[in-house]
Amino acid sequence: MVEDGELKAWFFREVFPLEAALTRYIRRNWRNENDVADLRQDIYAKVYTAAQRQLPLNARAFLFTTARNHLINTAKRAKIVSFDLVADLEASFPEAASADLDRQLTARDELRRVQAGLERLPTRCRQVMTLRRVEGLSTKEVAAHLNISVSTVEQQVVHGLRALTNYMMGGQGRIRRSPSKTPAAKSESQS
Amino acid sequence: MSARNAIEETAAYWLVRQGDGLSGEEQAQLDAWLNAAAEHKTAFWRLEYSWEKAGRLSALRGPDTLVEAMAETTPSASLRRGQPRWAVGLAATLALAVLTSTALLWPRPAHYATDTGERRLVALSDGSRVELNTETRLRASMSPDSREAWLDEGEAYFDVAHDASRPFTVHMGDRTVRVLGTRFSVRREGEKVQVLVAEGRVRLSGPKSGPAAKPVLLVRGDVATGMGASVLQSRTSDQRVDDQLAWRRGLLVFDQITLSDAAAEFNRYNQTQLKVLDPQTAAIRIGGSFEATNVEAFVRLLQSAYGLEIDHDDGIVKISE
Repeated sequence: MVEDGELKAWFFREVFPLEAALTRYIRRNWRNENDVADLRQDIYAKVYTAAQRQLPLNARAFLFTTARNHLINTAKRAKIVSFDLVADLEASFPEAASADLDRQLTARDELRRVQAGLERLPTRCRQVMTLRRVEGLSTKEVAAHLNISVSTVEQQVVHGLRALTNYMMGGQGRIRRSPSKTPAAKSESQS
Repeated sequence: MSARNAIEETAAYWLVRQGDGLSGEEQAQLDAWLNAAAEHKTAFWRLEYSWEKAGRLSALRGPDTLVEAMAETTPSASLRRGQPRWAVGLAATLALAVLTSTALLWPRPAHYATDTGERRLVALSDGSRVELNTETRLRASMSPDSREAWLDEGEAYFDVAHDASRPFTVHMGDRTVRVLGTRFSVRREGEKVQVLVAEGRVRLSGPKSGPAAKPVLLVRGDVATGMGASVLQSRTSDQRVDDQLAWRRGLLVFDQITLSDAAAEFNRYNQTQLKVLDPQTAAIRIGGSFEATNVEAFVRLLQSAYGLEIDHDDGIVKISE
């Protein structure tokens, strides 16, 4: 059993940097754009569970093989994708597994990406994120400074963090907001 | 909201609260939640990964960051109480050093090109990204006061990082597209130019001489086709915008277009060329989504679903009734 700390370091070092390539791979092989983020989350969970037993030697090959198998299984279960597509998917090894498609970002590229991601956020959300994360104020201090409630700051940071993550990992930086204003953490943590 | 969305939102809440310090009881709740499912843990880690990266910006922030963030609320506010002045100066110097070295690294236009059927993602130094479609040639030059790109041939999708001080200009022959930060695609075939706006607004300028010299402002869903001195402008639905950009996922999405148009699209992506022999066959309407480089699958479908005659002849596939 691999220890959680080691597993987390492995995800940070080997898996998450491949997210842009993984997302492109899913998108290319899946008709419905709305499923992409869900499929990606499933794939991460499968990789986590498998890596708990033993860390794979080649993270890239392991990630994309897991992705391909998951897409095939999901397509077969859903029975909505043409058989042709599944057959093509089975025949081809993920092209994205070749290093060419995703360029490793340098530290400076990454910083620029963060900056660009912040600039994409709606004005209020950007203010809150900048104060909280870049200027290092606490949630309470941000709330006092902008004269808004702590829960508003939390909501803005939650949204900002998700949108920023999406953008930094190669997405469009857009997140569907939940319709309810109730913090999900509250309801979830009851159980 | 999907289960995935709910998990991600919960993970984000916990992460934000953890940053402010959790009580022992809250920490126990968080641990329980994390251990409840592999999805929870990986979603949490993923957000933590970018949260850490965002934190690194604080090491680089120039005096402007805060001013920008505060500009629309309390212009005179200063949050730098208790921070020595030299620290601000040092941060500014560091930021300047980064900018300067960037400029030195990008003095000449960089060239990018794709072959038939190839796609390529290019990360520009200003944070913008460009996706090149099949048979495309692009040059780009980023400097501290301007951002310029030249589409010499083919099709490209631009995701331009916002920078009000440096407009981003794409040159296509004697036409130019100018933006501050937005997403759009451009396609060029000889003198024919097409611009499709996926988000935000862009300004398309025609040849300096000629009747179309006045720039056209395009917004989301607008398609402009320029040929010679004229520009044809039309609006399209979000769905059609997505369909037109399906090549970014390696797909061609046809909405009841003629077989001859569909064949022309496939021919852009493949060495194998489709040729429709008779006018009745050419007028057949085709709908659906197809892998751009899998011309064989498309041909199989024509054969089995439409009952068309297929004749392979040395890299050319002849289609007839």
